[in-house]
Amino acid sequence: MSVIIVLLLCSFVMAVGFLLAFLWSVKSGQYEDKYTPSIRILFDEKKDNRK
Amino acid sequence: METPPKITDTVQQCYHCGDSLRGEQIEHDGKLFCCSGCKVVYEILEQNDMCNYYTLQSTPGNSPSAIEVSRFDFLDEESVQRNLLNFTDGKTGKVTLALPNIHCSSCIWLLEQLYKFDSGILQSRVDFLKKQLTVTFLHTKTSLKKIAILLTSLGYDPELRLDAIEKKVESETTRSLYYKIGVAGFCFGNAMLFSFPEYLGVDANEKTLRETFSYLNLLLSIPVFFYCSYDYFRSAVGGLKKKVINIDVPIALGIVLLFTRSAYEILTHTGPGFVDSFCGLLFYLLLGRLFQSKTYDRLNFERNYKSYFPLSVIVKKEGRETTVSISSLKKGDRIVIRNNEIIPTDGLLLRGEASIDYSFVTGESNSIGKVLGEMIYAGGRQVGSVIELEVVKEVSQSYLTQLWNNFNDESKSDHHLSNLSNGVAKYFTMAILAIAGSVGAYWIQIDTLTAVNAFTGILIVACPCALAISIPFTFGTAMRIYGRNNFYIKNIHVVEVMTQARVMVFDKTGTITHAQRSSIVFNGPELSQDEIDAVLSLTKNSIHPLSRLIGDSFSGNTVYVNNFSEELGKGIRGSVKEFHYKLGSRQYIGGIHRSEKLNETRVYLSINDEVRGYFSIVNSYKEGLQDILRSLKSSFKFAVISGDNESERVQLQKIFPPETELRFNQLPSDKYDYIKSLQTNSKKVIMVGDGLNDAGALMKSDIGIAVTENISNFSPSCDVIMDSSSLSRLSTFITFARDSKAIVVASFILSFLYNFVGLFFAVQGKLSPVLAAILMPLSSITIVVFTTVTTKLFAKIRGLS
Amino acid sequence: MEVQKFSYDNRIVRDFTIASVVFAIVGMLVGIIVASQIFTPELNAGIQYITFGRIRPLHTNAVIFAFVGNAIFAGVYYSMQRVLKARMFSDLLSRIHFWGWQLIILSAAITLPLGITTSKEYAELEWPIDIAITLIWVVFAINMFGTIIKRREKHIYVAVWFYIATIVTVAMLHIVNSLELPVSFLKSYSLYAGVQDALVQWWYGHNAVAFFLTTPYLGLMYYFLPKAANRPVYSYRLSIVHFWALIFIYIWAGPHHLLYTALPDWAQSLGTVFSIMLIAPSWGGMINGLLTLRGAWDKVREDVVLKFMVVAVTAYGMATFEGPMLSLKNFNALMHYTDWIVSHVHVGALGWNGFLTFGMFYYLVPKLYRTELYSKKMANFHFWIGTLGIVFYVSSMYWAGLTQTLMWKQFTPMGTLQYPNFLETTLQIIPMHMIRAFGGLLYFTGVIVMAYNLVKTAKQGSFLANEETEAPALQKAELSSKETFHKMLEKRPIQFALLAFVAVAIGGMIELVPTFMIKSNIPTIASVRPYTPLELQGRDIYIREGCNNCHSQMVRPFRSETERFGEYSKAGEYVYDHPFLWGSRRTGPDLHRVGGKYPNLWHYFHMENPRSMSPGSIMPPYPWLLTQDIDTASTAAKIRTMQALGVPYPKGFDVTANEILQVQADSIAADLQRNKVPAESNKEIIALIGYLQRLGTDIKVKQ
Repeated sequence: MSVIIVLLLCSFVMAVGFLLAFLWSVKSGQYEDKYTPSIRILFDEKKDNRK
Repeated sequence: METPPKITDTVQQCYHCGDSLRGEQIEHDGKLFCCSGCKVVYEILEQNDMCNYYTLQSTPGNSPSAIEVSRFDFLDEESVQRNLLNFTDGKTGKVTLALPNIHCSSCIWLLEQLYKFDSGILQSRVDFLKKQLTVTFLHTKTSLKKIAILLTSLGYDPELRLDAIEKKVESETTRSLYYKIGVAGFCFGNAMLFSFPEYLGVDANEKTLRETFSYLNLLLSIPVFFYCSYDYFRSAVGGLKKKVINIDVPIALGIVLLFTRSAYEILTHTGPGFVDSFCGLLFYLLLGRLFQSKTYDRLNFERNYKSYFPLSVIVKKEGRETTVSISSLKKGDRIVIRNNEIIPTDGLLLRGEASIDYSFVTGESNSIGKVLGEMIYAGGRQVGSVIELEVVKEVSQSYLTQLWNNFNDESKSDHHLSNLSNGVAKYFTMAILAIAGSVGAYWIQIDTLTAVNAFTGILIVACPCALAISIPFTFGTAMRIYGRNNFYIKNIHVVEVMTQARVMVFDKTGTITHAQRSSIVFNGPELSQDEIDAVLSLTKNSIHPLSRLIGDSFSGNTVYVNNFSEELGKGIRGSVKEFHYKLGSRQYIGGIHRSEKLNETRVYLSINDEVRGYFSIVNSYKEGLQDILRSLKSSFKFAVISGDNESERVQLQKIFPPETELRFNQLPSDKYDYIKSLQTNSKKVIMVGDGLNDAGALMKSDIGIAVTENISNFSPSCDVIMDSSSLSRLSTFITFARDSKAIVVASFILSFLYNFVGLFFAVQGKLSPVLAAILMPLSSITIVVFTTVTTKLFAKIRGLS
Repeated sequence: MEVQKFSYDNRIVRDFTIASVVFAIVGMLVGIIVASQIFTPELNAGIQYITFGRIRPLHTNAVIFAFVGNAIFAGVYYSMQRVLKARMFSDLLSRIHFWGWQLIILSAAITLPLGITTSKEYAELEWPIDIAITLIWVVFAINMFGTIIKRREKHIYVAVWFYIATIVTVAMLHIVNSLELPVSFLKSYSLYAGVQDALVQWWYGHNAVAFFLTTPYLGLMYYFLPKAANRPVYSYRLSIVHFWALIFIYIWAGPHHLLYTALPDWAQSLGTVFSIMLIAPSWGGMINGLLTLRGAWDKVREDVVLKFMVVAVTAYGMATFEGPMLSLKNFNALMHYTDWIVSHVHVGALGWNGFLTFGMFYYLVPKLYRTELYSKKMANFHFWIGTLGIVFYVSSMYWAGLTQTLMWKQFTPMGTLQYPNFLETTLQIIPMHMIRAFGGLLYFTGVIVMAYNLVKTAKQGSFLANEETEAPALQKAELSSKETFHKMLEKRPIQFALLAFVAVAIGGMIELVPTFMIKSNIPTIASVRPYTPLELQGRDIYIREGCNNCHSQMVRPFRSETERFGEYSKAGEYVYDHPFLWGSRRTGPDLHRVGGKYPNLWHYFHMENPRSMSPGSIMPPYPWLLTQDIDTASTAAKIRTMQALGVPYPKGFDVTANEILQVQADSIAADLQRNKVPAESNKEIIALIGYLQRLGTDIKVKQ
């Protein structure tokens, strides 16, 4: 099943990519505040504010 | 005493700050404002159609004019800014402020639009859970002071303390934990992926495949070994250096063997190795770490005297008043202390009626009068008019600071690694090594390879992963449950120590008594209204707490008192109409001094030098105190240490079991020493207290429980912050701690069972990777589930939400 | 530095929305047609371009890539701009992305009915279109990462992470799976053969579902569900954890589509294990979604948007539970190749993707046109009729699947098959198929109503192409903390994503080349020979007509199957199959052992009119095969391509190929003529018969 090695490497490299992304996101303090962002997205643009 | 009069609903309110509209009022599109300041704020909000700020909460703001801008002067100071700013490059600055008033999502919405109020503000971000606001601003266009005033005018008064937010360090450590977990998890997942073919019987003819897989595995194990495992090695080595075998020793041992054996097998093509078990092990261990590293965002257990102190104080130089940060106070400076301000450092009284309330240094509810030229120690709170002091010591040398530092260098025996698991670990390790050694010795005669396999195999399966994670998960869960019941513990180890404590020491004032709710009765013939009025008026002239207590206990109208005088600490006198009133101690009013055991504080009243009777002031004790004592009597020895006089002795003796030790007139240092003495005969002590006067004791005790009316308020450095409402459940908390410990023990047994299964194969040198791969995660998961579930269950049984 | 005024690009959102709605109608209409063709084969009116085999792929492509695809883009373009507080990186790229994608869909709509297909499920499009897809996808990627770079909001909301995962992974899957060697402008052969091709295909097939139909929709859920409910997601922490967990596990569940096939055992089990593991993160997402609405169920009762989303999330939960169950060997043994799978797929498609999309549109369109929804009544009607449609569809297919598999496996006491005639089992479930079609019709009606409702909404409102807004510029990283390389780190996610992608592409290539040089270690069977030129042509006709949509070529090692079809299939038999033709659904019987089972004559008549040979058959007639000439011009090229792919044709075989083809064709024609059939040797039917007669005969014991 030589092809499985290919798939495997693809998945692996992909996973590495995501791992790095994860490390970055921690590094850059993405997850320091694990609550406020979920509220932040609820604020609408000015226009919609006064219903 | 110039508190603004209560606003009744009939009075017109300012739309912005809600102050009652007295005198001139400004009208602006149909809304009334007390001052132009409020109107301006409103206008800005309106221009940016952010007015649903008002719909979200009515009259939320503060009147800019009402804010004493001078309060924030010190923020312009270099030294202060250095203290507060997290970053500045001279042009832009970034500061994180604590805003206790953040309470709902609309706060976030408003505060993150600060830039609309002040063009100098580039960005503002809220951390809702921490109740913090981080502001990035241009020094050129605005200033800390401006920002502080803006926030205050919006109704978010920033909390500016000397121990400003310096929590960065903490977040760094948790971050690195996240990295490690990420790496371990990643390697674990992929190692599993690469190991399955082996387990699932990849056919022999797919050699290339197998080798690729095992080499990839080896690759994965490297970061886990060198990066993720580092802490365990360090702790293990550190332990051994100190001649103690802590839980991390067998773990480190297991880790090393797992790695080396796997590497060997892979490189020599003798087997697939245990890489997936290895990565999994670290993954679970680190998860445990994460779970136990939980802290409460809003609480601070490390507060010290600085937390009370204002950042700044007013200094008077040739008639001009300037605010300076207290750290820059010099000997000889002349400082001005207003009503209810705290004296930052020791000084001589130069001017004004000084009446210093040391309650949060000594717990003594009475405030002490001082005469000109007398020495006033730091930490006291001036009650009454403005006074001026000459600084004789810099803050760092002040009495209080000294006192504090004495406590500090006595650092608490750090139970960072749990004694429970370490205790087990010692014997465990010995046993395992013994088994491994003997088994190895046995096999060596028959066949070396098996010997090696058996030896390493034993140490691998015995690697007490489950042992290591059961504590974090049990106590961690317990900690969360405690938190839900307003009993906030510093870290999970507190749970364990709680189970070992045998002595419980209470501080009296505020802790087990209600400082406010004392009952005041007049013993003696009924007082006439005139007399009442007179007494009332008399007390109004004094700021002595007892006078105030008495004054507040009556209602009447004040009448003019002439030739009023107060002998500090003794009593007050004055004449109303033709009558001459004296209020104070027995001697003071001229009665013969009979030394009688009192279970109450008495204030005698004489009219025209004849004793009229006395006011008896009895402290009322908190509800449920009795129950606690009853339920803990069996397992605890009690003691009460109070800064107050003996007056309560009888009362206390009634409540506490006979053998209880009662100590009065205790200075903070006395309390501290007392705890120390208790500990010397190796008893673990729980100290229940409040106020700074207990700080030393709280710190010295094995478990310092600070009782506070409001969790987010100040509390001295301690191990537990408890809402005073939960005091009555203290016994429940302790029994629950014991339950948790029992659960841990049970889980140990559970994990041993797994170990035995593993050992059974290992001793025969037959520990296959598959088996390890199944046993290890299985045992870990079982432990996690078992501990968390049972802990929650017990919480239910104990009636903890 | 200071506050920046900018505007959100709403036009692109609107365009994608319109496209999505249009293709929803088209795709589902085609769906209803194919569904009906199963019980009324003559529905294609003898037109080859709309026979089942050709337009079934049209249906799947239209729904997945046109309807869902456009919906994803609409949602992503809307939410991403707002979450990141930035206009899309480049309007031009947005436009290119939009029109490019529509062109791709158009080309698909043209090529598939023409029978131009690779035969790989969900990847039927031929190589030029594959390349186009790749290019457009890259455009999308640049546009998206560009936006992330110039964002004004420091925190990257979890939804965007899901989008990132989608973009990177889909790109890789698409490329790896579509590696094929062109024969001519519109014809190519897969780089992989047989088992390997199957593995790659289903690795792709599964992850297409994972990363095209799931991750982007989770992203959309995490944005639109909280917005619609106006309350934060239940646990943001959970959403983060569940994202990373999902990402690390999903990629490996693929092989569970090939249980009991010729795929090595361990690879199958691998798929199973990881599929089981998937339950956790998937349900994490569902629970998070549902709990977001805890204590707000009253809202759900009024708000149709929430209604749609609740059903969608529930459907997601069902599908993600059923998936792992289906990957359990014994359950899979029962249900594979049956309508159960069809049902499973449609729980996801109609419930999860469909309903979430509808909910999103009902929320989106009024916002875009700054007005209220035209008619809540209609929307509610849509909701109920849609739900009803799903119920009819799903339940009928479950039932059909169960019935058929039980009949397949039913033995008499004497140990012979209870229903030896496969057709019986097919006819048995015809009523179910009618109900299914009806369910589809209901669902379709709902969509029509929605389209009308949305158009009306748009009419009554005024479209806001550029939504003005403002936000403070994102403060550069130096501010946040001392480390100076932090700034560089800021750009990392993009760098990483690209690096990962490039590395994958290159690494993949490097790995692939030797893969085809070295002898694949599938046990090769001496008697297995390459296809003759005629068979090769016949095979391509088989592919063109999409026979693999109804006929499998994979006899699994069960008594019930070996009894019915013959010796079970060996991996070694497929070494020359570029592409593999295992199929995934047995509407008709398996054909792997059909070779030599019937005389040529039978095939001839059967193709002309299936009913003549097997009364009641629901297979459409293929009269055009009798009249159309074999495309001998392409033979040489095809041989050369096969040689390039490592098929051991002797050197220079391409030159002589057509002569050899002619010889074999003549022999078959002669045999037919002997039976008074005026068959000409140059007609396609001859080639097809040649191929069918060859099927599985390599190792068949001649009687």
